[in-house]
Amino acid sequence: MTPRVSPILAILGLMWVVVVAGLAVLKPAAFALSTVTAVLQFSTILALVALGQALVIVCGGAGIDISVGGMVSLAVVLAMLLVNAGLPGASLPVLCLALGLALGLVNGFLVTRLKLLPLIATLGTFYVYSGTAVALTGGAAQAGVPGFLLPWGRGAVGGLPLPFLTLALPLFVAAGVLLHATSWGRWIYGMGFNERSARLVGIPVDRVRLAAYGASGTLAGCAALVSLAWLGGGRPNIGQNLELTSLTATMLGGIGIFGGKGGVFGVLAAVLLLVTLQTGLLELNVNTVWQVGIVGTILVIVLLIDNLALIRRTS
Amino acid sequence: MHTHSKVALLTAALLAVSSTFALAADKKVAFVPQIIGIPYFDAMEAGGKEAAAKFGVDFIYQGPVDTNPVDQMQIVQNLIDQGVNAVAVSVLDASSIAPVVEAAKAKHVALFTSDSDAPRSGRALYVAQATDEGLGDAIIDEMVKRVGEDAKVGIVSGEATASNLNAWIGFMQARAKAKYPKLKLLEPQFAGGTAQRAAQIATDLMTANPDLKGLIGVASTTCPGVGQAIETASKIGKVIGTGYCSPNTARAYLKSGSFGYSVLWDPKELGYLTVWAGKQLIDGKEIPATTTPEGMSHPVTYDAKTGVLLLGEPAVFTAQNVDNYKF
Amino acid sequence: MRAFLQRFGEREALLALGCIVSGLVFSILSPYFATADNLLTIARNSTELLLIGLGMTLLFGIGGIDVSVGTVLGLASIGIGRLLEAGVAPALAALAGPIAGLALGVITAFVVIFGRIPAIVATLGLLGVYRAGIFLALGGSWLSGLPVGLTNLLAARIVGVPVSVLVIALAYCAVFVAVRLTPFGAHLLAIGNSEARARLAGIGVRRVQVAAFVISGGLCGLAASFYVATYRNVEMTIGATLALEAVAAVVLGGTAVTGGRISLLGTALGVILLRLLQNGLLLVGVPSLWQPVVTGILLLLTLGAEALSGRLPLQRLRPSAVGAAWRGGVR
Repeated sequence: MTPRVSPILAILGLMWVVVVAGLAVLKPAAFALSTVTAVLQFSTILALVALGQALVIVCGGAGIDISVGGMVSLAVVLAMLLVNAGLPGASLPVLCLALGLALGLVNGFLVTRLKLLPLIATLGTFYVYSGTAVALTGGAAQAGVPGFLLPWGRGAVGGLPLPFLTLALPLFVAAGVLLHATSWGRWIYGMGFNERSARLVGIPVDRVRLAAYGASGTLAGCAALVSLAWLGGGRPNIGQNLELTSLTATMLGGIGIFGGKGGVFGVLAAVLLLVTLQTGLLELNVNTVWQVGIVGTILVIVLLIDNLALIRRTS
Repeated sequence: MHTHSKVALLTAALLAVSSTFALAADKKVAFVPQIIGIPYFDAMEAGGKEAAAKFGVDFIYQGPVDTNPVDQMQIVQNLIDQGVNAVAVSVLDASSIAPVVEAAKAKHVALFTSDSDAPRSGRALYVAQATDEGLGDAIIDEMVKRVGEDAKVGIVSGEATASNLNAWIGFMQARAKAKYPKLKLLEPQFAGGTAQRAAQIATDLMTANPDLKGLIGVASTTCPGVGQAIETASKIGKVIGTGYCSPNTARAYLKSGSFGYSVLWDPKELGYLTVWAGKQLIDGKEIPATTTPEGMSHPVTYDAKTGVLLLGEPAVFTAQNVDNYKF
Repeated sequence: MRAFLQRFGEREALLALGCIVSGLVFSILSPYFATADNLLTIARNSTELLLIGLGMTLLFGIGGIDVSVGTVLGLASIGIGRLLEAGVAPALAALAGPIAGLALGVITAFVVIFGRIPAIVATLGLLGVYRAGIFLALGGSWLSGLPVGLTNLLAARIVGVPVSVLVIALAYCAVFVAVRLTPFGAHLLAIGNSEARARLAGIGVRRVQVAAFVISGGLCGLAASFYVATYRNVEMTIGATLALEAVAAVVLGGTAVTGGRISLLGTALGVILLRLLQNGLLLVGVPSLWQPVVTGILLLLTLGAEALSGRLPLQRLRPSAVGAAWRGGVR
């Protein structure tokens, strides 16, 4: 059963054309390689987190992960505390990923073993993770990122930032392959589409869901690593608002909130669109508060259009 | 005429107009606050606009909608990409500009800090309202003047992650330890960004410490919270409230007595000085150790070693003089 | 049925016990906790969340949610604040709150129900729109030092009882009556249980859904009146934490997120417990930064404990419930 490609992708594409065309008319000077680099740089963290969020939602079962921002913040803080306490600096990447995985598995455990509703489970862990990150450090940024990471975090090849090229993009491709070309992918879409039938057919729903939350955590750990390598320091509230923006990006990207619908490339496209829009608005010196309003409006409109298309298709 | 050709003509016209603007461009100075929508930074914006008009530069004011350093950095990066000649940032912390310092240098953009510093980031200079030490000292000294040396004083801050607020708290604690050993300064509590939380925490502090004599609100959002908490708890006169608050926000509480005083500087002047500093950097002019920029009423000092351009001493507002200020 | 009621009542009892136990612990650890003033403080801190939580409970009942409640409070507060600044009588200004809230509730209802967008996503979008609206309405600065007329009005006591307590009690009673004794309540819960079946049963589903969102908006607006009276300040970040706190409190109270079962008493107890903990922790010296962690642990412990003891059959994911939970409209 192949997932249907929703008209959202078409709408996204159209919006992107509008944004780019608008920029072309109003500020052609914006079309420089540096703009592309900047957009990709600022997209990386959100893209990683949105991918995790997407995987969790596609698995269905009212899946959602409100704790993604908290996981990034806590992974950053714990990794830096450990490195500053004596662990070798070279282990920082592994630490970030391992910590993220652990935090994500906690979510998975709460949802699959304790059968807590994901909204509630991840709300609880959101408070615990983000609160702990700030409380442990008293709000102070953690310095001491090992020097070898900075050239990677801030470097670019042919205008493409290294973290995006070497981490985000491959992960998206891997996720795409997973979802569309493996049995795991079929299971995931099956679960999302109709969990009861999935269970009846023998799909290990709980295990897959646990893996999805673990993946979301690991991706949050990746985002933590990118933020450390890029910013050169560990800020305990770096994950602030990521839960809302990642949810916006996944919704815009065509992931159905009920699960079982949508693909990861839509999410990547949505992330790029959002950041391009942000950058474009900044170029035009539009007040940043309008961004928040515009993104909210776009979200509503895109979903309205999608619903209209659905109604037309089914009537 | 066909719609098609009309559109083409319009596009061409727009392109021509915008490129004309690009050619005849004035030098641009930008300021990026920590967050927009706060009267304090609005006043800095007003000062910046005034200076821009005076010194013949374009002024750009852009800031994030929440205290997120990545959002702030995105704005800074964007301004650098746009080719703005000088960019001043009130940094949330060093990570707001650290990654873009190199890019700025490569593009010959003067990147400097104002209102909040990132000392070791490679910024061109720092436009300081007053020294962090001066600010911490002033608020403690004034408090001791009013509550005595042997008193308990609470601190309500905003975001735990704001480096400038934490710097001031640090100096408050140092001052208390050095000069007023009998002063009991409580551990700072953090209210986040809303006046509601600040009021709740201030109230709880007063409840937990009935002998509390003073409350210091460190972030501008904590000012109305602390002032209102003292009023609601009917502790006017028993607890002296204060903070780094703008006169407009503090006025009601100074008049009612819940605030004894407020320590600040003139953010409009700070904004003015920031744009002036930007112009100096663009023109490549050396800033002398003491100078009075055109349009300012008093001299400012510059320490070339630390790169700190100091506006002056902090000002103390009381119920008597608060009406002289309109920001 | 009795078993259901028994289970139902257990969460409220647990919360009440939690309040009492924490209260005792805090009283022992801090001599200032159990004073009349402090208890009044806790009550005052709970006002807005009690009202917003009430609205959220109704929304959960139909299987919906609203993450924009903080911004609705914000916009309503601006309306009230501007009226006060313009010299309007406090009583009238106070009324502006619920009216503004109702209007915003209509907009939210429109987008969710007629737009057929899942509530969580629609209100996420509206959150951004309203936040931008707050900035525009504030003109970039704040409302500070608002006239005390409203504060005095709402701090007054009638027969010794503070006005705020009366209003909140009235609100809860009104909703209780509506839910228990009118068809509205039965329809609400039926929709939460299964929208499709409710429709088949002839219930005017849309009407009830719209009503829930509008009432929730009105309650947020009412909360705004109290907010302005208490804090006299409207800043751009107003209400930022309220939405998630409301969800946490309602969930603590035993209301099912998936719909079909609500507990007004549970919500009230959940709010009070949350605020009590925040207050008590500070009094005993726990740094304020740890408060969110405590909220999260409380949430996870309460629900985790119930799950482990196998007492949450209605929270388990039933296929139809899952569908109902996330649908703001028909599929």
